[in-house]
Amino acid sequence: MSYSDKVVDHYENPRNVGSFQKDEKNVGTGLVGAPACGDVMKLQIKVSAEGIIEDAKFKTFGCGSAIASSSLVTEWIKGKTLDEAAEIKNSQIACELALPPVKIHCSVLAEDAIKAAIADYRKNQNQ
Amino acid sequence: MRAGVLFCPVCGAVQGPGSMDHFARLGLAVGFDVDVEALERPYFALQRQLHPDRFAGKSPKEKALSQQQATMLNEAYETLKDPLKRGVYLLELLGRGVDLTACGTINDPELLMEQMEKREALAEATTGAEIARLLAEADSESVACQCHLSAAFLAGDLAQAAHLVNRLKFLTKLVEDARARKNRIRMMG
Repeated sequence: MSYSDKVVDHYENPRNVGSFQKDEKNVGTGLVGAPACGDVMKLQIKVSAEGIIEDAKFKTFGCGSAIASSSLVTEWIKGKTLDEAAEIKNSQIACELALPPVKIHCSVLAEDAIKAAIADYRKNQNQ
Repeated sequence: MRAGVLFCPVCGAVQGPGSMDHFARLGLAVGFDVDVEALERPYFALQRQLHPDRFAGKSPKEKALSQQQATMLNEAYETLKDPLKRGVYLLELLGRGVDLTACGTINDPELLMEQMEKREALAEATTGAEIARLLAEADSESVACQCHLSAAFLAGDLAQAAHLVNRLKFLTKLVEDARARKNRIRMMG
């Protein structure tokens, strides 16, 4: 199986790798894992007072497609509102990266990571 | 227990693989605890009986059947040899399959947090000694997980077994990752 150019690009030059302090109130952390491959993915968002995602970081331990999927979504969600970010579908990620069918689950994982990060942020706000 | 019947007891012709489970094919009792020797003995014996050389002069049908038998035999062996594959298969056989091809995330925050921390520690480790320590730790956790899995199957607690199979999947990945890091460091060393 060969990776698409976009996957290779994100894999070799991943955007926004890193972490925010988990306990900051304006940070939401999504932690997800794939049963299919044992990959783990962490996606964090930093949200402004206006509810805009100002910054995003990720750490993914997994295959090239999982890394590319999470790298790509950190670029996509920056500048979006939480509701806009929650609308990102795995099919858009898979399409952008030209993922083959066996790697679709990587894009699903990235979608789940966004949703988990948003849910965590909202939980923090309500505390 | 007898391993799967390969040949017709009357005429001696090779038979089709039929639909028996992997344990029956190798003459083993159904269960998570599989002794390597008890697995390899019937496997190699059956493999010899199915060797293509033995079918060189046989009819095309017998050749095809022997190949089907050999394929099923290999699949049974590969599945039962590996603790993770064996666990997944056994759950399926007992009617509680875990879908390892399922999309989306597992719902086990504790496991995810633990695994993320370990993978991060591994990524940040710089010395061979540190990586070796993390590898040993991961290895022993994998062994412990297999012990717990064995106990869960013996107790008939399939929900717990399913949970542990999931955990073993992530631990296996961690061990692979640690081993790869160790080899890379050694090559650079």
